[in-house]
Amino acid sequence: MSSSARIQFPTTAPNPTFEKKQTAMKTLKHHTFRNIAAVLAGIFFTSFVVLQVNSPEIENPPVTSEFHGPEEVTRILKRSCYDCHSNETNLRWYDKVAPFSYKVAADVEEARKRFNFSEWDSIPKGEQEGKLWYIVNMIEAGRMPLPEYTATHPSAKVTPAELTVLKNYVTSISQKHYATGDTAKIVDKPKVANVPTSVIGIRYFDDYKNWKVISTTGRPDNGTSRIIYGNDIAVKALEENDILPWPDGAVIVKVVWNSQAPDADGNVKPGNFNNVQMMVRDAKKFAGTEGWGFARFGGLDLKPYGKTTAFATSCINCHQLAKGTGFVFDIPTKPAQR
Amino acid sequence: MKSIILIIISATLVLAACQDSRKLTPAPETIFDDQGLHVITSFHNARTHTISVLYGNDDALAHAREERAAHTSGEATPGEATPGVVFKLVTWDLKQNPLWFGSNINGGLRSVETVTVSTGGSGPAIDYAIRHSRQKRDENAATSKAERISFIFAQQASVFP
Ligand code: HEC
Ligand code: HEC
Repeated sequence: MSSSARIQFPTTAPNPTFEKKQTAMKTLKHHTFRNIAAVLAGIFFTSFVVLQVNSPEIENPPVTSEFHGPEEVTRILKRSCYDCHSNETNLRWYDKVAPFSYKVAADVEEARKRFNFSEWDSIPKGEQEGKLWYIVNMIEAGRMPLPEYTATHPSAKVTPAELTVLKNYVTSISQKHYATGDTAKIVDKPKVANVPTSVIGIRYFDDYKNWKVISTTGRPDNGTSRIIYGNDIAVKALEENDILPWPDGAVIVKVVWNSQAPDADGNVKPGNFNNVQMMVRDAKKFAGTEGWGFARFGGLDLKPYGKTTAFATSCINCHQLAKGTGFVFDIPTKPAQR
Repeated sequence: MKSIILIIISATLVLAACQDSRKLTPAPETIFDDQGLHVITSFHNARTHTISVLYGNDDALAHAREERAAHTSGEATPGEATPGVVFKLVTWDLKQNPLWFGSNINGGLRSVETVTVSTGGSGPAIDYAIRHSRQKRDENAATSKAERISFIFAQQASVFP
């Protein structure tokens, strides 16, 4: 669209009425107010028109590799998520009215970047399952669909019954996937010669083995078992309920093993070592990721994860779900007193 | 211009997505004071709704490593219960992580079982004790005692980097 549709409003031109009655203070005041009101109204009107004219258009690129799931699952996702996370965006007229259209367009762009049901296979196969759990948890937390969107599109809300459908779906996928557990022979290689460092500047260290275990978890969602350690500063912060925010110097380390299948008594024991992950608190240094530095070292050779520091953004994006506990999921908790 | 508009719009759309089940407070009383013991391994059980960490001193860790070696190579035989070994098996309730559907995390502390090996008159003497944190009773049933001792001694050390 051309900018010729812009309406010019003389906001800076001299006002003849103003000049003539300079001596009468009262009248002057009165007129100034009226003029300001007129100018403001003009600015608003102009902006509104300019906004409409420049209002962003959302295109729908072709659907290349659509997500396939059971009909009851895809029906929910199509209704609640596809307006943003697919190439089948179907906006209502009020989504196209500026200024709302700007917010909607920005949301769709960002949502498609995060993941796109129309280009589902662009997510590596191994990560698709994890993404589905992420999806379920974003809905459960009330973060998706975006609340500002459901405010104007109430029918997009996911009902509790629908959330149960989605939970059962992801649970069944993972149950099948991890039914046999880790059956590989357990490998214990000699230690790595050079201590690896993450691009983010966090170097692997062994100290955590002398720290307190703050929690331990079993994850049927991805077939792993974990132990989470906290250094003295982290443990003290928990003891003093001083985690919003966590104090600088707090460090949390999580060690992850692949789970074996349950034994005859139902005990799920760790199999092979998978990875170790760290969260280091430095509010200034890691200001871009809510004050936490993230690092992950995979396999017994402790290969640092992430080619550029940008990987940490994906870590904190998901850890936003634990905002209420200072972005840390695995701490011992009880319901807060109200 | 565009970013200012976005900020204004975002600011005016006040979203109250507060969910009470996610309002949590730390429960540091569930953290076990290991008093310098090593973490040997961990396991969880969906049937008994429990999750455990096995701790031990140097001798206990060495024993659990031999157990693992015996299993993976099929050659070495695990060492005897030598005097000096101390194991502590700490067990918590298993609950769903309130912040992530799909992950189960430890809840309140349930019990601490301690196995110590000392020099007895005719070879090593193994002592077993269990402390329950909620029910005020000390269990010492002979049958389960022997079972628990062999269960604890059979645990294999987890592989750490
Ligand atoms: C109005 C647009 C909109 C709708 C509708 C919407 N989302 Fe989103 N979604 C976004 C935006 C924007 C982001 C990135 C910013 C954020 O996380 O708030 C996002 C991020 C996400 C993420 C994080 C992905 C990542 O890799 O970081 C998940 C998961 C998600 N959405 C799931 C869903 C699900 C499931 C639905 C439907 C139930 C849904 N969204 C509906 C706009 C939307
Ligand atoms: C899709 C969501 C998601 C992403 C992405 C993610 N995490 Fe986590 N993280 C979790 C969840 C859920 C837990 C708690 C459950 C568990 O692991 O036992 C967790 C736990 C952790 C912990 C233990 C402390 C805590 O917060 O509970 C560390 C350390 C950690 N993650 C590091 C990382 C690093 C480093 C990255 C990026 C390379 C990352 N995470 C990316 C979901 C995520």
